[in-house]
Amino acid sequence: MLKSWKLKEVVLMSVFAVVFAVVYLLFVQVGNIWAGVIGPIAYEWIFGIWFIVSIICAYIIRKPGAALLSETMAAMIEVMIGNAVGPRLILTGLVQGLGAEAAFAATGYKRYDWWVLCLAGVGSAVFSFAYGFLVSGYAALDPSLLVLMFTLRVISGAVIAGLGGKYLSDGLLATGALRGYSISRDTGKNHKIKGEVIG
Amino acid sequence: MVNTLSKKSQVEIVATPVIIDFKDFTFQFPEDESPVFRNISFSIQAGERVALYGPSGCGKSTLLYLMNRLYPDNCDGDLEGSITLWQRDAACFAPGEINHRVATVFQDPDTQFCMPTVEQEMAFTLENLHVTRPEMEHRITETLEMTGLTQFRKTTIQTLSGGMKQRVATACAILMQPEVLLLDEPLAHLDPLTAKHYVEWLDTLKWSYPLTIVAVEHQLDLWGTFFDRAIHVRASGDLPIELNPTKPCITFPKRVSAIQPEVALEAKNVHVHVKGKQLLKDVSFQLQRGEIAVLAGPNGSGKSSLLKTICGILKKSDGTIKSGTMLPGYVPQSPEQLFVTQRVKDEIRFSNNTKEEEITDIMTRLRLNEIEQAHPFSVSHGQKRRVAIGTMLSDKRPVLLLDEPTSGQDEAALKELFHLINARAKEGFAILIVTHDMTFAAAIADTIFLMNHGQLTGRFDNDVMWLQEKLLEKHQLVAPIGVCLHD
Amino acid sequence: MTSRTWLHDMNPSLKFIIVLVSMLTLAWFFNPWTPLLFFLGVILLQLLFSRVNWKVWSLFMIPIAFTAIGYLWTTLLFAADTSGHVIWTWGKFEVTNTQWNTALSLSFRVFAFSSMSLLFALTTDPVKFVMSLMQQLRLSPKLAYGVMVGYQFLPVVKDEFILIRHAHRLRGVGEEKHVWQRLLGMRRLLIPLLAGAVRRAERSAFAMEARGFTGERRSAYYEPISINARDWLLATIIMVLLIGSGVAGFLLH
Repeated sequence: MLKSWKLKEVVLMSVFAVVFAVVYLLFVQVGNIWAGVIGPIAYEWIFGIWFIVSIICAYIIRKPGAALLSETMAAMIEVMIGNAVGPRLILTGLVQGLGAEAAFAATGYKRYDWWVLCLAGVGSAVFSFAYGFLVSGYAALDPSLLVLMFTLRVISGAVIAGLGGKYLSDGLLATGALRGYSISRDTGKNHKIKGEVIG
Repeated sequence: MVNTLSKKSQVEIVATPVIIDFKDFTFQFPEDESPVFRNISFSIQAGERVALYGPSGCGKSTLLYLMNRLYPDNCDGDLEGSITLWQRDAACFAPGEINHRVATVFQDPDTQFCMPTVEQEMAFTLENLHVTRPEMEHRITETLEMTGLTQFRKTTIQTLSGGMKQRVATACAILMQPEVLLLDEPLAHLDPLTAKHYVEWLDTLKWSYPLTIVAVEHQLDLWGTFFDRAIHVRASGDLPIELNPTKPCITFPKRVSAIQPEVALEAKNVHVHVKGKQLLKDVSFQLQRGEIAVLAGPNGSGKSSLLKTICGILKKSDGTIKSGTMLPGYVPQSPEQLFVTQRVKDEIRFSNNTKEEEITDIMTRLRLNEIEQAHPFSVSHGQKRRVAIGTMLSDKRPVLLLDEPTSGQDEAALKELFHLINARAKEGFAILIVTHDMTFAAAIADTIFLMNHGQLTGRFDNDVMWLQEKLLEKHQLVAPIGVCLHD
Repeated sequence: MTSRTWLHDMNPSLKFIIVLVSMLTLAWFFNPWTPLLFFLGVILLQLLFSRVNWKVWSLFMIPIAFTAIGYLWTTLLFAADTSGHVIWTWGKFEVTNTQWNTALSLSFRVFAFSSMSLLFALTTDPVKFVMSLMQQLRLSPKLAYGVMVGYQFLPVVKDEFILIRHAHRLRGVGEEKHVWQRLLGMRRLLIPLLAGAVRRAERSAFAMEARGFTGERRSAYYEPISINARDWLLATIIMVLLIGSGVAGFLLH
């Protein structure tokens, strides 16, 4: 799978993973404290934050594996920074990334409209919920609470990760920084990116 | 045979084979409407030291990336004509193959390393070349000795200064025992004194075999007599060549001081402590309207902290700062850090207390009308700085503080900066500039402040200062060329 | 005592796998004893085989305690299984012994997981971890060194974050009160950070390729990482602890 990847695309995922790993860890801190007050449901409405890097990278690079790899790399960086969630984050990242990847695969890696990005956010939400069901012991909770948690997570995945990811990527695209990546080429036909060659 | 190369006779150079040859070469980026180069031709012989010379944006780095085969693969560019490397078509080399013979040092000291320590970074390089373990040990030790970096073997790269990072990057390149060493503006991010030391260091390295050095550069004056030839990079045709190039430093126009009697900024006994560390100690000074002052001193002496304190970003622990009704404006080294909107015009309009006529006036004065609809991140570096200054003017800030505006700028950009600052001074703004470039300082400043260890160590009128050789040395500054030190 | 360095010297990949196996196994237990015993066992292991700074350890554990408390009362309120005899009532609200046990189990699980995570985090060198993933678990060098570049970028992200915040303060943005405004305001912070990251990614990738990196496997390592007998011994000890607490939990329940 990696053969067709340019090194600069891999490194791009990695540096984005670093930026978002920092954001993720900030939110874990916030989430942890809230979780003491309102329980595990505290994480649910901001859960989409944790899926955002996979959607941004897939949207920019547009290659099979972008969602899966970027989310896993972000998890690896989080583990390298050191935190109390630890190595199982890599597994979490892998599962969430797979969820988003599934959505892009289902559209044949051809469509990157807003609804596909939302679908990818939902994919991550569904996969991560199934994983949480096993690892975090959701099985012991009342089904009505689970339904509420699941709904919140799916909405958060679609809105924060899907729409938020698109909002951020489009903002970045407008700066002209993404010259040389698939997103510029695919959309560049419509509006020419203003920018200069430096060097 | 030990070969120092630079002082070889012409006859010998002519006798050496051509190893890099561009013929009728045309290149275009897929996003662009027109080619960067059209039908250019030039060649480089083995053992030469060549500078590819031209202003920023002329595409000279692109040429370098075509020599080490980073392009066209990485940008999917379209090319016509031929590039021949060692009498072989460049496209015939397998990925990575050419990088065993051509090594590169890039301009940004902070983005050339992927491992934590010097030794690990060197090991990464040798592992790429499939060198055996004992050979790695041997080559690392040998290269560190040759480059005088042995004491840094276990050092974490990020703790090194920019100049040392560039030496480490060069050592990693030498480690590959390349036939060609490419240098991509290696001095761009260094201050003049550090740059001078780097060139001297590179010049004294003793090669055990003839090495070709090709450098992309816009400031030849820092290199002295390092190069045998300079190739002027142009957009089309045969590129003109200059033998034994030396470039005089930039000459700026003469300016007339615009100082007015009113005080624009006054700082008294300012102290700043951040987390138990004293950043500024008892700083007092004043600026008048229309005055241009330069703040100079070694890295880490507190220059940036002083600017940030004056404009209120850093909280002062003690002292007073007066600048009328508005705080001074601040333009960071990367002006885009100030930007919060998505259009140049919105950026100027962002402060609410400016009337529409005033905005139009600012846009005209700073020549921003042509880019008013553009995204502030997508314009050129010089334009970004003008936008940043525009935002400060529309906030009605009476003083402008510029942090390292000269860093990495070529001749044209420096001259534009000169005029930009000069025009603001004439409008009555007081301006304080942090810079290491003393040639620029000598041309623009009315006053020069020296700083060391968080304290102001002197205030000089422009013309007096350059005679104080000891003082300059103590503050790690290079006197501007053309100023006679022993009158 | 030399054994106090053992966990620090343990092969990171093996340690990683052991941590994952422990967590995935613990996930199947809903009695309070298994996670509690495992948690205490892990602390004992760290006392014997590591030089963990317990102050740092506690700092990490405090927010974890919050999460555990959250799990405790959520499970009490919303348990799926409400069988068993009532042990406590408060108005209309009843807690059965099954509920109480499950709630305790989930809270202790949070502690058990975290102790294992901290055992890994506090004894593992991040660079060695990635290098070991490449050498032992055949992680692609392209990904491994890609992650390494990112890791070098980390302090830069922090510095740039502060610089941008400073500059924005000058423009009078960044002090929004509402949560929504703050979420949207993150865009202003993130876009310059990401734009810088894109530039950096390309430069770093070019620097690596110029040094002959193609992403193919290496034929020799300068710092080879191996798995030795002591690593297997430690792995066995942790596995015995895991099985032991599983069995004990089953018997005590």
